[in-house]
Amino acid sequence: MSNRILLVEDDERIRASMRLALEDEGYEVEEAGSGEEGLERFGEQPADVVLIDLMLPGMDGFECCRQLRRTSAVPVIMVTARTDTHDVVAGLEAGADDYVTKPFVAKELAARIRALLRRSRSVDDPAVLNFGDVEVRPDEGTVRRGGDEVHCTRTEFRLLSELAANPGKVLSREQLLDRVWGYDYFGDGRLVDVHIRRLRTKIEADPALPRHILTVRGMGYKLAP
Amino acid sequence: MRARHPPRHDRAGGGAAGPGRRRSRLGLRSRVTVTFGLGALALSATMAGLTYFTARQFILNERQTAILRQAYVNASLARSSLREVNPDIPQLLSSLDTVAGSTSVLELRDQWYATSLTVSKDAIPVGLRSLVLSGAPAMQRFALGNTPEMVVGLPIPSVDASYFEVFSLEDPSRTLRILALALAGAALVTTAAGAVIGRWASGRALRPLAQVSKAAETVAGGSLDTRLLAAGDPELSALADSFNRMTEALQERINHEVRFTSDVSHELRSPLTTLATALGVLESHRDELPDRSRHALDLLSAELRRFQRMVGDLLEISRMDTGSAELLLDEVEVGELARHAAVAGGAAAVPVDVDPTLVGVRLTVDKRRIERVVTNLVANADHHAGGVTRLSVEPGPGVVRLVVADRGPGVSPGERDRIFERFYRGQAAGQRGASTGTGLGLSLVAEHVRLHGGRVWVETGAGGENRFVVELPVADPRAHEADEADEAEDADQADQAAIGGVPSGVDTSAPGGQAP
Repeated sequence: MSNRILLVEDDERIRASMRLALEDEGYEVEEAGSGEEGLERFGEQPADVVLIDLMLPGMDGFECCRQLRRTSAVPVIMVTARTDTHDVVAGLEAGADDYVTKPFVAKELAARIRALLRRSRSVDDPAVLNFGDVEVRPDEGTVRRGGDEVHCTRTEFRLLSELAANPGKVLSREQLLDRVWGYDYFGDGRLVDVHIRRLRTKIEADPALPRHILTVRGMGYKLAP
Repeated sequence: MRARHPPRHDRAGGGAAGPGRRRSRLGLRSRVTVTFGLGALALSATMAGLTYFTARQFILNERQTAILRQAYVNASLARSSLREVNPDIPQLLSSLDTVAGSTSVLELRDQWYATSLTVSKDAIPVGLRSLVLSGAPAMQRFALGNTPEMVVGLPIPSVDASYFEVFSLEDPSRTLRILALALAGAALVTTAAGAVIGRWASGRALRPLAQVSKAAETVAGGSLDTRLLAAGDPELSALADSFNRMTEALQERINHEVRFTSDVSHELRSPLTTLATALGVLESHRDELPDRSRHALDLLSAELRRFQRMVGDLLEISRMDTGSAELLLDEVEVGELARHAAVAGGAAAVPVDVDPTLVGVRLTVDKRRIERVVTNLVANADHHAGGVTRLSVEPGPGVVRLVVADRGPGVSPGERDRIFERFYRGQAAGQRGASTGTGLGLSLVAEHVRLHGGRVWVETGAGGENRFVVELPVADPRAHEADEADEAEDADQADQAAIGGVPSGVDTSAPGGQAP
C-alpha cells in the first residue's frame, strides 16, 4: 500500500508539478491550497507525511503546523523560500520535522520523505530504555515520564531513542543528523538543536536547566542517566 | 585670475613653511590649547609689567623724597654747627641724623670729611661733585661697586661748605627683584592655567564631535539603529537631528532593499520550483522521448540548473550586501572538513593532503559555506584550468590555509585581484566551450571567506599551476561576529552551568586555545 502525502501549497503550478514528481516516486498525493483546507483534509483522512509551504495566504504555514501538531504526530516537512535562522527555527519550533528550501529538486524532497517514513528500529534494540523517571519503549514507540505518557513526534522519539541507547556518550550533531534524519555531513545542525529543545520541554523538569539531555559545547549532545 | 593663482599659492606656501605650517598640522584641540596658553601669557605678562613699573616708580619716589628731606635737614644742621667758632667737625658729622646705609660727606674749604671710611670724596661722581662745588644742588643715582646708590649734594655757601649724603638703594632694589620674580611666577602659572582651561574647554566643546564620530563608526559597522541624543543643547541638537535623519534614511533604504531581496527571493523561487520539478519528471521519463526531444530536454535541464545556481548566487550575494547573511557555526576537525568539502565539491578523486601538525585541529566554521567555497573553486578550476589536481591543508600563524591547486595556466598577475570581482570575465573565459559558470562563483568565495574573518587569494605554484589559498582564522569567528549567536546559545549556556565538570576540549571562552 502506497504512502499518502498531503501537499499544502498555494501555488497551483508548484502543486501540479510536485504531484507529478511524487506520484512518479510511488506516493499517493492529496492537495490543499490553504492552511485551513489542509487541516480539513487531514481531519477527513490523515496522511503519512504532510508538506507545508510557510508562506500561505490566510493561515500561514507556522500556524497550520502548530494546529496539526495538537492532534497528530505525523511527520511534517516545511517548504520555505528562505534559509534564514528565523524562518527555519520558527518552522521547526512550530513542530516541523524537517525542511526543504525552494527551489528544491524533486529527488531531494523524495529522499527527505523516505527518511521520515523509515522505521529506525533495528532488531537488536532493547525493548525498554530508562533514565531518571523517563521510560522509552522503542518496541511500542512510547515515552513515559513518571508513569504518564509523553506525546512525541516520530522524529523526537527517534532522537530520544538514539540518545537513550547511548547513555553518557557524546553524539555529535552530524551523527544525530545521519542517524535520525539520514543527512550527510552538511546537514543543518539547527534541526538537531531545535528538536533537542523540544524534547527538553517534554521530559526535563526545568528545560532551562536540563539534567538529562546535555549540551557538550563544540561537540554535540549526550544523555545523562 | 587663474594665471596669477599659482605664484600666490607658492608665496603662501613659502610663508607658511615655518612655524605656521607646523601649527596647521596640529589638531584643533592642540591649537585651541596653544592659543589659550599664548593669550594667558600675553595678558599676564602685560599685567605683570604694568604692576612692576608702577610699583617701581612708587617705591623709588618714596625713597627719593625721604632721602631729600633727610639731606636738607642734615645740611641745615651742618650749617648751624659750622657757624660756630672752631666747630668740631667729626662730632658734627656723627651727630647728624642718618639712616642705616647712608654716609655723610662734608667739604669745608677744600677739606673733605666723611662718616665712612669706604665712602668719601672719591666715591662721589665727579660731574655732580663739581656741579655742587660750583654752587648748585644736585642729585644723582649711580653704582658703587655692584650696589645701587644715590647721592644728594647741597652747597652751603654761607659757610663756604658743601654737604653730600650718599644713600644705598639696595633695599628697594631687593624688594623690586622679589616683586619681579613673584610677578614672573604668577605670569607662568596664569599661562599654564590658560593652557589647561583651553584644553578642557576644547575637549568639552569637541565631545559631541567625538560622539558623532563614534556613532558614525557604529553605523558603518552595520548598526543602523544608532541614534544621537541631543542633550538639550540647541546647537548640538541641530547636528544630532540631521545625523539621526541621515541614519533613518539609510536604514529605510536598506530595509527597503532587504524587503525587495526577500520579495524577489519568493517570486523567483516559486516558478523555478515548478520548472525544476516538472523538468525532473520529464528527465525521469527521458527514455520514452524521441531523440530530438531528448536533446532539447538536456539543453533545458543544463540551462535550468545554471539559472538556479545563478539565482541562488545572486540571492546569496544580496544577503551578503545587506548584512543579513548568517554564519551557522560548527566546530569541525580541519582534515574532515577538507575531505567532505572535496567530495561535496565534486572532487572526490582528488587527493587531500593535511599537514601533520594540523591533524586534530578544530575550526569553528559554517561547514556549508566552506563546502560552497571548495565547490566554487573546483568549478572554477574545471572551467579555466583543466581541473583540480590537489587539495591541501597547510599551517600558518594563527590560521589554517585550504589550498586548491589546478593544472594552470596561471592567472596573470594583473588579474589576480580582479578575478574575485562579480561577473569578471578573464582572458581565459569562453575558451572551453559552453560556459556553465554564473560569473559569481569566485566573488562568492571571497564573501564566504570574509564572513569567516579570513582571506582568499591566488598565487602561482612552482609548476605554473594556480594555488587558490583560503586562509581561515583558527580562533572562533564569533569573536568578530558577536551577533551571530542563534537561539540555541541560551540553552547551551544554561547547560554549561548544569554540567559543571565539562569534559576537556570544551572551552567557551577561547575555542582557539584548543589548537596545538
